Amino acid sequence: MDLFAQKKIQSTEPILIPHGELTFLTKQEILLAHKIFSELQGRENGPYSARVTMEKILTLPELKSNPFRKRICHVFSTSDMKDGSLSFEDFLDLLSAFSDSATLEIKSHYAFRIFDFDDDGTLDSRDLEKLVNCLTGETDDTRLTAEEMRQLISNILEESDIDKDGTVNLSEFQHVISRSPDFVR
Amino acid sequence: MLNKLQDLSAAECVHVLREMPLSVSEKRQIRALVFCETVQPLSVNRAMCCHQFKNGFLKVLCGYGEVSQQKSIQLWQGVLKNISAHFGTGVLSYFIFLRRLLHYNILLFLITGLFLVLPQISNPPLKSSKNKKEDSDDFWMLTGMGILTDSVMFYGHYTNESCKAEMKTFPENYNIPLAYIFTIGVGMFITCVMLVYSMSKSDGKSFRVFKTSGNLALKVFCSWDFKVSKKHSVKLQSVNICTQLKEMLSELSCEKEKRNLSSTLGWLSLHFLVWSICLACMAACVLAVCCLHSYLEPGSSKLANSFQKPVGLLTLPLVVSCVSHLLPGFFDMISSVEHYNSPSTRIYVSIARNLLLKGCIFGALCYYWLKKVSVGKDGQTTWQCWETLVGQELYRLVLIDLLFAMTYIILAEFLWGLCIRNITLRRKKLEFDIARDVLELIYGQTLVWFGVLFSPLLPVVQIGKLLVLFYLKKTSLMMNFQPPRKHWRATQMSTFFIKILFFPSFTGALACVIYAMLRVKPSSDCGPFSNVTNMLLLGKEWIMGLGKSNPNMFWLSWAYDHLVDNPMFLFITAGLFLSIIYVQMQVLDGQKMVVARLQEQIDNDHGIFVTDLNPCLARSDVHNYFEKFGTITECIETVAKLLTRSFKEDKTKVSSDAVILVAEMLKVFVEEATRRAVKQADSEDCDTIDIEHFEKILPQLDCRDTVAYPNYSGHKPLETIVD
Repeated sequence: MDLFAQKKIQSTEPILIPHGELTFLTKQEILLAHKIFSELQGRENGPYSARVTMEKILTLPELKSNPFRKRICHVFSTSDMKDGSLSFEDFLDLLSAFSDSATLEIKSHYAFRIFDFDDDGTLDSRDLEKLVNCLTGETDDTRLTAEEMRQLISNILEESDIDKDGTVNLSEFQHVISRSPDFVR
Repeated sequence: MLNKLQDLSAAECVHVLREMPLSVSEKRQIRALVFCETVQPLSVNRAMCCHQFKNGFLKVLCGYGEVSQQKSIQLWQGVLKNISAHFGTGVLSYFIFLRRLLHYNILLFLITGLFLVLPQISNPPLKSSKNKKEDSDDFWMLTGMGILTDSVMFYGHYTNESCKAEMKTFPENYNIPLAYIFTIGVGMFITCVMLVYSMSKSDGKSFRVFKTSGNLALKVFCSWDFKVSKKHSVKLQSVNICTQLKEMLSELSCEKEKRNLSSTLGWLSLHFLVWSICLACMAACVLAVCCLHSYLEPGSSKLANSFQKPVGLLTLPLVVSCVSHLLPGFFDMISSVEHYNSPSTRIYVSIARNLLLKGCIFGALCYYWLKKVSVGKDGQTTWQCWETLVGQELYRLVLIDLLFAMTYIILAEFLWGLCIRNITLRRKKLEFDIARDVLELIYGQTLVWFGVLFSPLLPVVQIGKLLVLFYLKKTSLMMNFQPPRKHWRATQMSTFFIKILFFPSFTGALACVIYAMLRVKPSSDCGPFSNVTNMLLLGKEWIMGLGKSNPNMFWLSWAYDHLVDNPMFLFITAGLFLSIIYVQMQVLDGQKMVVARLQEQIDNDHGIFVTDLNPCLARSDVHNYFEKFGTITECIETVAKLLTRSFKEDKTKVSSDAVILVAEMLKVFVEEATRRAVKQADSEDCDTIDIEHFEKILPQLDCRDTVAYPNYSGHKPLETIVD
């Protein structure tokens, strides 16, 4: 980063101080995020409460090929119109949740929300089916057959649904995740 | 929550806020409320050094997920990752096995090259007057005759004559025969140690995978790597996850079928028929090998024609390669009429047949070499320098095996695959037979391990062969094969193949080598052991001589005399090792039992609490109850907070499992209390339940008093009480 950018950053710096404490990102990371976000906005130093549309966010190279990209935008978006647009603080939320220093609770909380395709607070069989289809890809030869999908979902529910209500809620999800020896994202 | 936050210090408050799963804007508002701060511009003198960013965030945003460009720590890392992404862990295990064999051969070559070949090259033997007639052979590369006969390639070249060396790289009294024994011995020993080490390591790995059925949810929830960002890598990852999920599902879906008597008899007779056909074929092969050997005597003068001689020499290796490549395919074809419960049984049976076939062939060859060739007809050695002849035969076997494998891949995989793809409408591709190819590798390696004694540079040929095979197979795989439909766990199969590599492959070769060194008389007109009755005797004489000449080394000869040569000592040490192994096996069995019990306990831990509450409840009732009414509420967090609030010390933590159990317990209590209160209200003819009804039934819920459950029979589920 050059001095030109440094000058601009210093003016927004006092506003950004609480973010360093409230997220898992370091100050340099937040400043870099600000720079990237400004580039997405198309303006150099716009107010950071302004929102960037989902299409622009999805042009980031890290999200472009991710099968969960739309869900990620929806989960971290706090916009009233539910259009997946992110403000700068939402963007920081996103980066903080995916950073290496985030705790297991934060990661599992957001992972649960990302996997919850219909936003009803539980993972039912439709959510699980969409999740598996996202994991295995879009092409025909990588999709599971209907029989395999049915068997997979019934096995998952058998293993993780403790209260046998046919859905996996957040506590059960976290219970399953905590048994993983290498839950690293 | 705000009150709680205000109780904490500033740093702790921030720490707690950070870990809350809320959005940053909400957290900021909470923080502002707690600290009653207003955002004020601070002085601009706060310096920020923003020069080089080499932190993790930069990596995340700027393509840290470039999986394909990572530096490969091991050989062929990127290629193997690509293969595993497309074809699964099963096919990958073949290539990993190939790489492992390559490492062993490189090690063997280093040892023999440094200590045996280099000294001999720098000390070339004098051209003696009794020079054998060397035929100028056109096909010397293929047959190993001609120029190669008297080269460092084969045993015959090595000699114990030391001549005045022009280069003083090696001392003049470098004893080639001793070096021969010791390099072969040390090479075998190191290979043995490495094999045992990798066997035990992979055994440990496969032991950890003990509960496959419990890992499906974990795989689905945790396996996506969000750091991967390139489109191609993402696609590879999807394919990988898909194949792994299919693998796990197919393992779960192996069902046992019940058979009645007649179908059992039919099944048995079919198996018997197929096995007898296979054994008959193996016997025929062994006979063929023996007959061919006696027909095509290596030193015979029948084939004096310069063209017929290489053909005659190459006939036997060609026949052996044909048999060992094609016959297992035939076995698999006829075994397709058999019916097996699970795909893994079928695989093990086909591996067993293949192994038997190759073992028979190798046994027949070894027998012929060590018994017939070395002794000759009528007790007279008719062939001069039989070790070189054996070495040349082994060289031819290894080379022809490679050439045959190459032709087979080109014909049967490239051309046939092309035909299949264009003819069948569904564009089906071939399927990779992992077991057969791995056994081919093992067979080739056995020949090399046996042949090192007679041809110290044979590992070089094997290294070349493995490299060619790797690239050819990889190309063929990508073009002609589809991912296998039947999947199985590769960890167990890799362990199994390493075990086969150790026994019977390595142990068989080692046994033959030791027999050759101990019992077979070396030929008297060539080679470094021309004047001893057996090779190991030379070592013994040397140690004795060393003890006599040098008083400091007397302990060595004493140790050899009383420890190595003394059978009593060897028996005692062997017995000691066996008993230690037995004890370790018992300990392992005990640990496996403990693991199984703990597994059971984890599965039942929900029921344990409830049956402790009421000893009259049967386990099945508890299970029915949980199935009908559920076991867990969603108020886990509330329960956790209740618990932590009641702890005296701040540092006390409660695990999530304990919280879940306590929540269940509370739920059971609340349900039971409600139902009993309902019954109480019923018995008092009230329409509504009041707090008095609860108060009346509360003493009944005291779990210390088991007689408070007089109406309870152990078999009624709880819901019938209300009715």
